Amino acid sequence: MPQSRRTFIRNTGIGLLSYCVAGCEVELTPEQARQQKIPFHVLNPDEVRTLEALGETLLPGSAAAGLAHFIDHQLNASPQDQLLMIKYLGVSPPFSPFYSAGLAALNALANDQHGANYADLSSEQRTALVGQIAQANPDGWQGPPAPFFYFVIRNDAIDVVYGTKQGIESLGVPYMAHIEPPSRWGE
Amino acid sequence: MSLPAEKVDAVVVGSGAAGSAIAAKLAVGGKKVVILEAGPDRDNQSLISSAIWARRLKWSGAPVIEEGKNPIGHAFNAGYGVGGSAMHHYAVWPRLHAEDFRVRSLYDRARDWPVSYDDLRPYYDQVQHESGIAGDAEQEIWRPPGEPYPMRPVPLFAQGQIIARGFEKQGMNTAPLPLAVTTSNYNGRSVCIWDGWCDAGCPIGALANPVTTDLPIALGHGAVLQANATVTRILANDTGEYVTGVEFANGSGETDKLMADLVVLAAFTVQNPRLLLASATEKHPSGLANSSGIVGKFVMSHPAGLVYGLFNEKTHWHLGAFGGQLVNQDSYGKTTHARAGAFGSYQWMIAQAVKPNDLLGIATSRPDLFGNDLHAFMKNAAHGFASMTAVIEDLPVAENELTLDDKLDRFGTPLAKVTHNTHAESKALWQAALVEGQAVFKAAGAREVWTGPQASMHIMGGTIMGEDSANSVCNSYGQAHDISNLLIAGAGLFPTSGGVNPIFTIHALAARTSEHLLQNWRSIIQ
Repeated sequence: MPQSRRTFIRNTGIGLLSYCVAGCEVELTPEQARQQKIPFHVLNPDEVRTLEALGETLLPGSAAAGLAHFIDHQLNASPQDQLLMIKYLGVSPPFSPFYSAGLAALNALANDQHGANYADLSSEQRTALVGQIAQANPDGWQGPPAPFFYFVIRNDAIDVVYGTKQGIESLGVPYMAHIEPPSRWGE
Repeated sequence: MSLPAEKVDAVVVGSGAAGSAIAAKLAVGGKKVVILEAGPDRDNQSLISSAIWARRLKWSGAPVIEEGKNPIGHAFNAGYGVGGSAMHHYAVWPRLHAEDFRVRSLYDRARDWPVSYDDLRPYYDQVQHESGIAGDAEQEIWRPPGEPYPMRPVPLFAQGQIIARGFEKQGMNTAPLPLAVTTSNYNGRSVCIWDGWCDAGCPIGALANPVTTDLPIALGHGAVLQANATVTRILANDTGEYVTGVEFANGSGETDKLMADLVVLAAFTVQNPRLLLASATEKHPSGLANSSGIVGKFVMSHPAGLVYGLFNEKTHWHLGAFGGQLVNQDSYGKTTHARAGAFGSYQWMIAQAVKPNDLLGIATSRPDLFGNDLHAFMKNAAHGFASMTAVIEDLPVAENELTLDDKLDRFGTPLAKVTHNTHAESKALWQAALVEGQAVFKAAGAREVWTGPQASMHIMGGTIMGEDSANSVCNSYGQAHDISNLLIAGAGLFPTSGGVNPIFTIHALAARTSEHLLQNWRSIIQ
């Protein structure tokens, strides 16, 4: 049975991202945006690939939940409208350099230790590297403070997996919204 | 509504708790008032129930540069938009204690306030009826004297019952947390449904934020509220004897001026001293109201003592208020933990309603976990997670200060730089509280107990009040010692921080100040 728009919004909880597809504005969840391979505004393909691989290490399921599209959409919004947690973690906007530098540093670390980009490592290798950056700056780390970068991306992953109506309800807890997230991010 | 072209009685900079409260009183008193708010307009229908969307309520203005070992967490603690930080506050409204006003006299530390508890008591009583507070004054055995709360206490859910058991086994006390949240229909406001969305704003008006309480009164009595109006400078006359109004940038970035007999600076703890320093003139070369050199000094922020646990029982952590269900102030005595090298007061806010995500969410309580371990933890936590938070007194330190940086914001105003390092005795108090809190959770039967890192909660000081114009910025009403028609409002006035949430005292001071303004208007604006 087709869902009404209202039901659709109610069921997604996280709110929708607005995209222009074939000249028409459509609203998609981060998960749907990923499924439909919606182009990115800020992140480049390498960054998307690294980010999704990191997200899967930090919280399995976050890539499929649209982690990269969620972050990309927020980085493309005005500072006032951005909804990433980094906005109150002491980093001055714009935030895209933080993400770019962190992802580049992670790939550099992966190449230094294993001769390949992070997304091309085995699951065990990825986990081991995340264990390193969670604790301290690894030798030669060139990005933002590694434990802080870990903290920020981990929280972004938690947002898309557990910060939604579906995510909260997956824990057996009712969402209990007064006003559910509206049709688009950033309105 | 457009701004008046002619001079008004009062321009209020900031629409948060203090600014809205004073604007409402002045408007009711017949004054022509304009409120300028740097952030966007808000109404209750914009308050979306989501920990992600709630981030719109956090500071999004000019960046604040933070330095020191214990940053104040400005962007998390400050608000942006109509209603200010009060739009995402947790509605915990305890009173300061009598000794909080006399720390110098009683303990030879810090400073006394230029106002006593007895001075403020009638205003606490007045405000709790105006704003509506739910609580049980008799059960709060630590509470200083005052009228009973106007609403019955908040309900106790499983999480509160479980943690209360731990306090009882430790020989400690609990009482319903005093919350500015409706437990009955109050002044036309709906009753809270205890869904824990407090810091996302409260669109049903159960929580006493400015959009629900003071702003409708102000606007209903003719006050004009202008959003997206960033004040860039306070204007003074040529001799520097009085202020004449403010310069501000409108939503299009164009500069405008608004002239007023009285300027009320209520732009939160950081922006107030920033504006004073940025408004230096030939007559006030170190900034307005700064002949003492104290503007920007003694910035404080309560260290938050975070205690978490997992219980075998179902805790129903999603139910209740974000601030908690119960309070304990057994350690409010300033020297309770002196043997641990600690000084100061603290209270526990017990059994907070939480969400899975965000800075105070369940997942963030264990930042060490990732991968499937994190999923497993979330599954366990969904059953029996519990938390409580200590509000720790932060002793004032002159070197914890706000200064202007060389960098400018988009309007050409220097950015604020704030340095904060927690006083050693406050740090020791934070550590002592965590030891106590873990013992309580273990006594309550938690199978796992852990603590969080030191976080910063509330921001106070920077424009402190005092009797002596040589070492304070303003008097007990917030009037600048140097300029009588320049008034400063909010937690920036606090000479010491106490160990409770500042919001109720902010309101009590605002009520006292408003009465003073209306009774002495002519002499003040002259």
